[in-house]
Amino acid sequence: MYTQFFGNFLLNNKLVSTAQLSEAIELKKSTRLKLGVLAINAGYMTSEQVENVHNMQQRVDKRIGDIAVELGYMTEAQIDELLSAQKTGYLLLGQALVDKGYMTNAQFEAAIKDYKARYKMSDSDLSNEQTDSMKALINEFYHFDTAENAGVLIEYVTLLFKNIVRFIGDDFTPLEAAIVSNFQCSNLVSQIITGAYSAMTAFEANNAAFTGFASRFAAEEMTSDDDFTNATVSEFLNLHNGLFTVNMSNENETELELTPQVFEKDTIFTFEGSAFCIPLVFPFGTVNFIIGSN
Amino acid sequence: MSIEDIKVMICDDSVFARKKLKDYLLSVGVKYVFEAADGIEAVRVYKENNPTIVFMDIIMPKKTEIEALTEIFEYDKKAKVVMASSVGTQNHLKDAINAGAYEFLQKPIENNHVMKILTNIIKEG
Repeated sequence: MYTQFFGNFLLNNKLVSTAQLSEAIELKKSTRLKLGVLAINAGYMTSEQVENVHNMQQRVDKRIGDIAVELGYMTEAQIDELLSAQKTGYLLLGQALVDKGYMTNAQFEAAIKDYKARYKMSDSDLSNEQTDSMKALINEFYHFDTAENAGVLIEYVTLLFKNIVRFIGDDFTPLEAAIVSNFQCSNLVSQIITGAYSAMTAFEANNAAFTGFASRFAAEEMTSDDDFTNATVSEFLNLHNGLFTVNMSNENETELELTPQVFEKDTIFTFEGSAFCIPLVFPFGTVNFIIGSN
Repeated sequence: MSIEDIKVMICDDSVFARKKLKDYLLSVGVKYVFEAADGIEAVRVYKENNPTIVFMDIIMPKKTEIEALTEIFEYDKKAKVVMASSVGTQNHLKDAINAGAYEFLQKPIENNHVMKILTNIIKEG
């Protein structure tokens, strides 16, 4: 799960620029993972060994994997394992940055090591034991600790990311949150949470991204932003908020209620206080998630 | 009773949620599926069709699910209503059980849970 934040991590640590990151996110679609990046990520080769292999490949007509085995850097079994493993989004992002020359293999190696060490990432990203470090990560990126009800907000956003990974996909990069008091919306689905903790929650996107988001959740291709698309995005918001209220009820003995969702088109969403807007960049476009005090 | 005999009513304000459940029911051989988008419609459609089983979401406009549930029970004491809810908080659970719900499902509804319920209904005849 935390892999979504690799892009933010690179930005926050000034390892890439916003323009380079956006370009790499765009390129992810057409990027093919290469053995070097996979091996660095798995810790099977150092960036230096990867460079050696690449240099050697320019002289001899052999495949990267064969050279790595010949040099004793990796076994055949390790190569098979790497090539058959699931391809995760952050690796594609890393690969795109390396391909463009925005990062060297060595910089990628240092960044991925640092990132994993800081957030204690493992392969079982969604396991519960890791929820705490995920919360810390989310707080670090979004600085919710300054907000009213910071604890609840962190819980909420942590669950949001889990649900997006679970129901929409893990190929998104959340960008830095902006604080907004009014927001120009193309397609807007909102729902109010009431009770001991109250909040206005919403998804906003242009037609293409809204339809793309709905298609993912429905697991069927949608082509236009019609009523069914709106109902689908609405249901995702309702599902997520519902799961949040269940958690709050079970873990914190806090009973919350939800109002029916509202869909609006071409509108300006205004908050009395201020709200956090978190842009989520998917291959099909950017979906903005907004949460503010109600 | 076989699966073709089961009459299912889906009450949900979300056309998306209704379609997903309906698609699944039809795919496993259910022949009769009725839909209602709010609490008032739910009571009316129930009275018109006397379904074997009802799947009902919890936040519905116009009439709350508990009001709808109570009215359905006034009409048919043996109604089988599964609360298929996005908001499975302890309070809602308590209210639904007190009102006589047959079972409580937290959304997202998983197909195997729906199948289990259908299987039970077939067994119960």
